[in-house]
Amino acid sequence: MGLLDLPFIQNAIIGGILIAILLSILSLFIYLKNWSFINVGISHATFGGLAVGFYLGISPTLLGMLFAVIIGVLIGYISRKGNIHEDTSIGVLFSLSMAFGVIVITLSPNYNTDLFTFLFGNILTISRKDIIMLSVFTLVSIIFIYFSFRKIMFCCYNEEVAYVSGINTTFYYYSLIVIIAIATVLSVKLVGVILSSAMMIIPAAFANQFYWHYKGILAFSVFFSIAMVLVGIYISFILDLPSGATIVFIYSAMFVAVVALKKLLKKG
Amino acid sequence: MRTVLYARDLTVKLGGKVIIENVNLDIKEGEIVAIVGPNGGGKTTLVKSCLGLVNVSKGYVEILGLQPHKAIKTGKVGYLPQKSEIPHNFPFSAIDIVMFGLVNVDIPEKEKLKRAKQYIHYVGMGGFEKYPYSKLSGGQQQRISIARVLVSEPEIVFFDEPSTGVDVVAQESFYDFLKKIRDEKGITVIMVSHDVGVVGKFVDKVAGLNRFLHYYGSPKDFFQKHVLQKLYGSDIELIIHSPECVACEHFHADFKGKS
Repeated sequence: MGLLDLPFIQNAIIGGILIAILLSILSLFIYLKNWSFINVGISHATFGGLAVGFYLGISPTLLGMLFAVIIGVLIGYISRKGNIHEDTSIGVLFSLSMAFGVIVITLSPNYNTDLFTFLFGNILTISRKDIIMLSVFTLVSIIFIYFSFRKIMFCCYNEEVAYVSGINTTFYYYSLIVIIAIATVLSVKLVGVILSSAMMIIPAAFANQFYWHYKGILAFSVFFSIAMVLVGIYISFILDLPSGATIVFIYSAMFVAVVALKKLLKKG
Repeated sequence: MRTVLYARDLTVKLGGKVIIENVNLDIKEGEIVAIVGPNGGGKTTLVKSCLGLVNVSKGYVEILGLQPHKAIKTGKVGYLPQKSEIPHNFPFSAIDIVMFGLVNVDIPEKEKLKRAKQYIHYVGMGGFEKYPYSKLSGGQQQRISIARVLVSEPEIVFFDEPSTGVDVVAQESFYDFLKKIRDEKGITVIMVSHDVGVVGKFVDKVAGLNRFLHYYGSPKDFFQKHVLQKLYGSDIELIIHSPECVACEHFHADFKGKS
């Protein structure tokens, strides 16, 4: 029996590719809108919902989604209104949710294993049900983004100008936040809440080192993410390392290496 | 002539502070109006309140006979905000920016592309369609942004400090260009400007704003001492630079002497 014949490896590969596609597409918008910290806030806040779901015996994914969407919308609202400084509100909200999650999960039995899984992911836990959910959500997100692409890009370029051009900027703003929040929860099993934001921040920033135009950035991000996820899964399986950490380590190392190399070549 | 912008007792408070108060405006179709005044006098806030970008605390405003949030949905309102810093890795080409102006215009994609190219030519930027927007000079970026505003063929446009980033020599031709837009397209142009020198030459009406609208009328009467004193809150002296300008002659003589 070959490695690819193992059902959990098949699930890991299909799930990994779907997550890579979804998160790398979203990375373009996060990059353009400078939402890295919002994204980190949402991904960390997810932990509270996952923990409550686990403790109550209700689907952690569903409760995680609910939590992520609520916190995401709240972060978005505060950022837009600007009454409190964006970074402060994100910092407070995600710390609150994470601290709450740790307390809840500590109260439940067998918390050590699950805490680690939530935080850093365990690709072997991706099930067929997860893949169906991921496929449906990825498809719906891609259809939505495809038909609203130029409007979303216009909002990324300048939200006030887009508004005056008659675009419902509030709708696209919160739609993106909700998609990012749900995508974060669905990627938890692959990379965990701590590292999922890296998969939404690095691809576009990395692609921008090679391509200046958004079409090139988008295409390269998707290609690069799929490649990194597959390489990461393979290495983690061979060396018996945690998949999420391996994938994100390769991602980040490649990014750092390319940026450093470009700087060196420029100086030379 | 039809009124395209009508404001009565327009008052805007931001963060508990009154920024503009009891502003009345009546702007007619095809006019070029400059909103001038000191920094912090509420010029940008006035424009933003007309566009529905900030909430009006008291009074009301209508564009093309509609409330701002309804008027912008017609696609007949254009807006060029104050120029902001563009990141060096901004991933849009010149034509991408102009195409944004057609997002809500219901014509086939091919037609959109054709029209976007037409307007890029119209603003004198033909050949730069696929050029990275971030690599263009300040003046070229402004021209592309104006093409983005015009491409939807609006009836009224708001320009906030449109000559920012445009070098002094090019500024005059830039304002000539705004006049050309008005003459050829019949568009009403409302612009915020800190440059009072522009006012006399290029606009039909001046709105002098410093929290209150201190002056609204022809540029001819705007330069009277009492109007400027009221607007800027102190004695100001206006130096008109012309070939006969004595101050300029001294300056050039000094400059030559030093070099």
